[in-house]
Amino acid sequence: MLQDIIGNKTSLFSDGVQTVLRGQENRNRRVVLLKGNLVQNSRSETRGINARVNDHGTFGFASIAEYTPEAAEKVIRAATENAGALRRHSGRNAPLPPSKGTGEIPLNAAIQDAPQKELIELCRTVDSYIAEKYPDLTSRTVVYYEDSQDRIVYSSDAFCGHLVTPRCYVYVMMSAETKDGVPVELFHAFGGFGSFYDHFREPEKMYPEIDRLYKRLMDKKEGVYAEAGYRTVVLGGMMGGMLAHEAVGHTVEADLVRGGSVAGPNLNKRVGSEVVNMVDFAHSYAGGAAPLPVFLDDEGTRAEDAGLISDGILTGYMNDRESAVEYGMAPAGNARGWTFSDEPIIRMRNTCILPGKNTVEELIASVDDGYYLINSGNGQADLTGEFMFGVTCGYEIKNGKLGRALLDTTVTGVAFEMLKTVDMVSDTVEWCSSGFCGKKQPMAVGMGGPHMRCKIMIGGR
Amino acid sequence: MTLKATADLMERILREETPGKYSYSVSQNEKQELNLENGEFKLLRTVFGSGASARVFLGAKMGAASGNDITEEGLRKLVGEAAAAAESANEDPCHDIAPHQREEVFVQGVTEPDMDRFIERIREFLDTVAREYPKVRIMSGIGSFDRWNRITRNANGTAFESRGGQYFFEMDICAGDGEKTTGLDYAGFSTKALDRPFIEMGDLRRHLEDIQNSINPEPIEGKFEGTVILTPGSAANFIEMLVDNYISDSVVINGTSQWLDKVGEQVADGRLTVSLKPFDERIVIGERVTGSGFRSEDVTLIEKGVLKTHRLSLYGSNKTGRPVVKNTGFDLVVENGEKTLAELIASVDRGLILGGFSGGQPGTNGEFSGVAKNSFLIEKGKIKGAVTETMVNGNLGEAFRRIRGISKEVLCDGGSVVPYIAVDGIVISGK
Repeated sequence: MLQDIIGNKTSLFSDGVQTVLRGQENRNRRVVLLKGNLVQNSRSETRGINARVNDHGTFGFASIAEYTPEAAEKVIRAATENAGALRRHSGRNAPLPPSKGTGEIPLNAAIQDAPQKELIELCRTVDSYIAEKYPDLTSRTVVYYEDSQDRIVYSSDAFCGHLVTPRCYVYVMMSAETKDGVPVELFHAFGGFGSFYDHFREPEKMYPEIDRLYKRLMDKKEGVYAEAGYRTVVLGGMMGGMLAHEAVGHTVEADLVRGGSVAGPNLNKRVGSEVVNMVDFAHSYAGGAAPLPVFLDDEGTRAEDAGLISDGILTGYMNDRESAVEYGMAPAGNARGWTFSDEPIIRMRNTCILPGKNTVEELIASVDDGYYLINSGNGQADLTGEFMFGVTCGYEIKNGKLGRALLDTTVTGVAFEMLKTVDMVSDTVEWCSSGFCGKKQPMAVGMGGPHMRCKIMIGGR
Repeated sequence: MTLKATADLMERILREETPGKYSYSVSQNEKQELNLENGEFKLLRTVFGSGASARVFLGAKMGAASGNDITEEGLRKLVGEAAAAAESANEDPCHDIAPHQREEVFVQGVTEPDMDRFIERIREFLDTVAREYPKVRIMSGIGSFDRWNRITRNANGTAFESRGGQYFFEMDICAGDGEKTTGLDYAGFSTKALDRPFIEMGDLRRHLEDIQNSINPEPIEGKFEGTVILTPGSAANFIEMLVDNYISDSVVINGTSQWLDKVGEQVADGRLTVSLKPFDERIVIGERVTGSGFRSEDVTLIEKGVLKTHRLSLYGSNKTGRPVVKNTGFDLVVENGEKTLAELIASVDRGLILGGFSGGQPGTNGEFSGVAKNSFLIEKGKIKGAVTETMVNGNLGEAFRRIRGISKEVLCDGGSVVPYIAVDGIVISGK
């Protein structure tokens, strides 16, 4: 964990500008077993210091790959000079965002570091289980991946604090072949916020889900292509989370709103049916911790939930301090940078479509002819809200019952049109926190959603 | 401490701490980056970076570690981490380091930037866009000058030093008219010279024209099998997916490659030649040292439709008994064809110009499915207009066997050289 060696450098902050000084360390641990072969076995740590200065609407940023008091002094000076130089070029003279209070946010957790030996042993144990129980697989991959951010933030007119975000996962990927020799694959991620010992002391706890993954892969082996067209579907919770993040979340990031996203002209208008509600949670959800808790952002804003859609009406955006002034909203702590050399930009935290009143079984039983789409490999969306999600796991629904499995397919739509077709929402939410969001820099984010019945374009062959 | 002194220190620590083979690199880099938002200068960013990485072998066991602390304490810790990782690893003799090679120093690009001129060129570009493309918005842009120095060595006595610098510019753009807005498009280039206006660099002007012509897209009715003309950006994307899915380490080691036993055989149309050419003069900064520690070489993957080699690292090569490819970058060069883009368009009965593909990474079966972005409908040899909510489906391997034509025109953006490629038999479907 970082020791605080930068706190006494705030005296170097210039008057008349807003300055944030951040020391940060990122750690990665990675082990990859491909068919039992250890193909990756690595550890990585980067640390350094940065400063960002807002000089009336133009920004200066500087970072150095050293964690020393001298480096702190250098980056404060360089960022201040950069902001001033750019202001002279741009001629901007915007008022500085008002302070929303000052104080210190307490340390939220600790980072525990497990030796590489234990990470490899875990992967071997899981791999052996799969190899012995399922010898008919054409391939299997077991990955241990861990990253963590350890940040100390000091700001000139906002909050400061020392916060950590450790997360770790085991990814299991299985491959088989259809009777025509076509490869099919499925994967599952285990783990979440916390360190190795929080999640993986008992590998056997993963086995029931591994068994279910294998069963679904065998179903997929016998799978069929979806019939292309505009269809009624039940989106699983992971798909709902992908929708919340990719198709809606990005369009309501204020920097993209400013750039012309579809959310601009739709504020306070209907963008979904009345059963659609969406929030970007900061650190807590339903009385417990959110998947990847954020207590303080990299502008020194104390993190709070950002309400986005209420009863189908678009009610807010995700902001940094500057955009919050522009849109007349309160900043909620969305400005984040991934490593010490990254400036804060508007990012999601734990973005979630809220649960409704129906059970998953009721949703499936209500569909005469459609699809149950369970999991997505990836997703992308546009400023217009037009989205694409790859579907890696799904089933037909015929007369309210699950039918044959689907081969890989894709669903598309326009978010604010598709959300208006949502007419049933399940009473439970599934979360995913194992991926990265890409927007100039990577960022660890949580995304969640309930099952939803809706209409969507599905691709066939 | 100079970078050479840091490398010498690393060498000494590795010799002291590890009994077996090793390889390592140390680096320093510097970035000056101007960020744009909505066509205005927004943030000036300076980054001073450093890095070190080591692979350590204990017999046939390998471990790796990396970090950015290049002090003696930091390097000792890093070597200790790599050794601890090796100690816990399986014995796998396929992990190895490159053999002894002649010492070389590679210098590329420009090492002393003219930042005033660079900023002038960016300002000039912004003015040009505002004047000639009034409906286009540069949502965000980055103009950066990056400079680096890296030393790579191994226990076999191989020692390379690579240093250089380049200017880079990229933009995210959309277009709007009232409340109508287009989707997002992206374009960029890298260069070592500032002698031409940026509007003439790479494919920037075409992207600006296309996005301005996309404000009123129309959905396609129904579903049909047609021709897709891949723009150079899309073609590069599809070829990268082809390489990953058909000839990369993971699918060849796994045995799941559809081209596992196809080296020497015709796998694509006879007009397709795909190479990775880090030494091509059109590539501004090409790879000089591979991830396995070899001096990089130009390599042709597919020549006149014939698969020449899988793309295997040293580990993949040792694991499968197939040849190693001394190239781990992606300095893509695709040979141009004989028809003009206009002739390709005129030859299409019904299809799309595919400006971008928003889709998942295809599985090892090569099936792809996704949304056509920044794309235009072609009917009876004429461009009809921008499309929306349009999907394209097909199979990567089949697509490159069904090439209708390859354009004379190529895009050179400093990182790749790629023509337009027209492929038949793609399923195109609307709402």
